[in-house]
Amino acid sequence: MKHQKEVIYGLYDDEEILLRAVKKAQADHIEIMDVFTPFPVHGLDKAMGLEESRLHIAGFAYGLTGTLTAFLFMTWVFTRDWPIIFGGKPYWSVPSFIPITFEVTVLFAAIGMVVSFFTVCGMAPGRVNPTLDDRITDDKFCIAFNAAGAEEEERDRLRSFLSGTGASEVNMKTI
Amino acid sequence: MDQFVFDAKKRWVLGGGMILGLLCLIITFFVDDQFHTRFWTNYLHNSVFFTGIAFISLFIIAAFTTALAGWSTLIKRIWEAYSLFMIPGLILMLVIVAGVWGHWHHLYHWADTAAVKEDQVLFGKSGFLNKYWYTFGTLIIVGAWIYFAMQIRKTSVAEDSNGPGEDFSYHRRIRTLSVIFLPIAGFSSAAMIWQWVMSLDAHWYSTLFAWYSAASWFLAAMALTILTVIYLKSQGYLPKVTADHLHDLGKYLFGISVFWTYLWFSQYMLIWYANVGEETIYFRERLDNYKPLFFLNLIINFVLPFFVLLRNDTKRKIGTMVFVSVAVFLGHWLDFFLMIKPGARITAMEAAAHHAGEAAHHVEHATPFAIGFSFPGILELGTMIGFLCLFLYIVFTRLTQASLTPKNDPYLEESLHHEVV
Repeated sequence: MKHQKEVIYGLYDDEEILLRAVKKAQADHIEIMDVFTPFPVHGLDKAMGLEESRLHIAGFAYGLTGTLTAFLFMTWVFTRDWPIIFGGKPYWSVPSFIPITFEVTVLFAAIGMVVSFFTVCGMAPGRVNPTLDDRITDDKFCIAFNAAGAEEEERDRLRSFLSGTGASEVNMKTI
Repeated sequence: MDQFVFDAKKRWVLGGGMILGLLCLIITFFVDDQFHTRFWTNYLHNSVFFTGIAFISLFIIAAFTTALAGWSTLIKRIWEAYSLFMIPGLILMLVIVAGVWGHWHHLYHWADTAAVKEDQVLFGKSGFLNKYWYTFGTLIIVGAWIYFAMQIRKTSVAEDSNGPGEDFSYHRRIRTLSVIFLPIAGFSSAAMIWQWVMSLDAHWYSTLFAWYSAASWFLAAMALTILTVIYLKSQGYLPKVTADHLHDLGKYLFGISVFWTYLWFSQYMLIWYANVGEETIYFRERLDNYKPLFFLNLIINFVLPFFVLLRNDTKRKIGTMVFVSVAVFLGHWLDFFLMIKPGARITAMEAAAHHAGEAAHHVEHATPFAIGFSFPGILELGTMIGFLCLFLYIVFTRLTQASLTPKNDPYLEESLHHEVV
């Protein structure tokens, strides 16, 4: 049995209203579990006080791995393992390695970042992640609070915060 | 502070720089060889470089307007001022044109009538590489660019005083001009680069050359824009320009640096791989006799901006941006140095041998190390400072003639609220 929790969430119609609500929650020291939007909202990361993603640092490392893999592999093949003369060029002809090195760098960086991102988010083929509401992938903007183990009084406070900041719907769901 | 003040102190500093440049040019003229090759190549190098920056600034305005870019509106006046340097730029280039007619210089091998007669390759190219086309191109094509620059500027300034107009008529007019200008700029800039720069190596050609040197102009213009924006901000102007605008300018510096490297490498690798003597001669000469510059060019224009600007935060800090912009600006000045000097030097050596009575094809292509050719010397640096000061003098004069903020531009509001992250 998976770990389950109760979530109180509000659906907003517009990203501006959502952004104002997030800022108000921060000012009121209400801890937001997560915010779901159908598209990136400018200034949301800053308003939520999120740290900068470290994904791009991983991406740089994957890219560098790709660069070295391709370059060293070709160097090994053409100088040690199976030297062939192409077009009268030397065995170790760096300019002709560069396009492939570049491609492999991009390939490693791209695949590495996708796999890292999926791993961090707990996504994998065949795995179904619970969604609070299907409409948050379409036209609704959602703020979710963790209500696990909270008193009824506390839950009412969260609900009134959501409706008070302009949420068009307030629901509770166990996921 | 919307009104830029070009005060006496700035005028004196820039005027002093211009005098320094003029002095350097005069000294170069007198310490030179019989054809004054160093003087004329320095003159051509800086004229082409700064005229190109002016041209590419107009291209930037046109491209951004056509793409409905809003973020750049706050700094659009800087590019407008840059683009109007094409008027003095045309005058600078006309001196070279007059030199072709009057045989004042031996920059271009194709301008030598006797050489063209006995040279199959030059004869075959003489339909395009001749003084008529050179004059026509410089006068008519640069003239057309100036027409668009002045029209766009005029409309933009009129929008300031008259309001956005009915259905944003002023902005629509700028957009129409931009859309007409873009294809003209694409084709005609290539023709001008072939005439001005590539034909210095008259026997050689590369179909990539125009793109590659236009990318060089673009980076020099972008680096200079960043430096101007930072300078104006340090003087208290452009208060609404934030780190977010700087970030986007930095992205252009980063992205086009990679694009430039891509073109540089594509040109190099295809010629290296095909290994056709007529083509490899270009890189042979540069690798044999210009090795330090050849690799410095790649380091300063690719490795440095790539690794410094790869991170998000370096594009938002003034210190790193000034450092990279100065390096890239000088780097692309060196890039043009490397495009211009070797070809012109060989032409001059062959002409000298010809004058001395030897057959031109017996000339050895061994070009010994010489300051001013193999590597820029103090005189080259001084000349560049002189041209830069002239450029900035014209730009600052133009900046005083209109408000620094385009008040009624429909995209101004978007630019004011520009946010990158």
